[in-house]
Amino acid sequence: MTTLASETKTGFAAEHDAPIPYMQRTRDYYMALGYNPYRWAHFADVPFTPLPAPLDRARVALITTAAPFQPEAGDQGPRAPYNAGAKFYKVYSISSASVPDLRISHVGYDRLHTTAEDINTYLPLARLKAAAAAGRIGSLGPRVHGAPTNRSHRVTMETDVPEMLRRCQEDGVDAAVLVPS
Amino acid sequence: MCHQTVSLVARHLEAHGIATVIMGCAKDIVEHCGVPRFVFSDFPLGNSAGRPFDVASQTQTLELALRVLESAPGARTTVQSPLRWNADAAWKLDYLDLTKLSPEKIAERRKEFDEVKSIARGKREAS
Repeated sequence: MTTLASETKTGFAAEHDAPIPYMQRTRDYYMALGYNPYRWAHFADVPFTPLPAPLDRARVALITTAAPFQPEAGDQGPRAPYNAGAKFYKVYSISSASVPDLRISHVGYDRLHTTAEDINTYLPLARLKAAAAAGRIGSLGPRVHGAPTNRSHRVTMETDVPEMLRRCQEDGVDAAVLVPS
Repeated sequence: MCHQTVSLVARHLEAHGIATVIMGCAKDIVEHCGVPRFVFSDFPLGNSAGRPFDVASQTQTLELALRVLESAPGARTTVQSPLRWNADAAWKLDYLDLTKLSPEKIAERRKEFDEVKSIARGKREAS
């Protein structure tokens, strides 16, 4: 990409050096393919709960959209093409004491510019364990919870989201770190 | 879709007394939905928790999320990580770039997408 002379003089960043407009790109792309535009979830009001305990006494959950590795479901390794066969459709939970094998071949991550070789780029479990060991957080919740990525808002909001709350309440967590893939 | 899903989960947890922070790479999707706290890394999708094989970057990104969890003054707090994917931002032009696709390629992509949808539907119905 060439930089315009005026950008060099002003010290401005390049025009395209801004967060990617994913909604617009996705809309344009699927319309070019002949599909109707997707209606993204959008709310005017946003809830807010102050952290109920100091962080060094708080129990913190980790929530991911990564999928448990399924041996029968084809290539799920680094650089694997988009693999719809590796998707999952129900909330799952896995012990946070384990080192789970969770993959992201089932979602549209940026396959041109990254490879999904290092699980720590989409699942900060090791980093959260280190934060707990250092006393930065009180403790890590006993389970990592996995959220299915469904195109249907209805299924997500009526089924998956309440189930995720139920599991977090069962674990007695004060806070949650949520990490999309 | 991942960013929208976790945004919906965060809103529901927060409405029921659990404080949340999202670590993500798709700023527009998360902010359009509307969430309590968000740490944005301007990285390719798939790197919400930091750069590959770079523990310092992953630790810094998590620490930023924890600080936002502790100190956000109200809903819709977004903090952007100061880390850069690389000096040249040209990678941002590539995601779903239609200008690089011929009509033949678009037809091919549509066929692939229909196949993927059909696989996903089969799997969903079986689950």
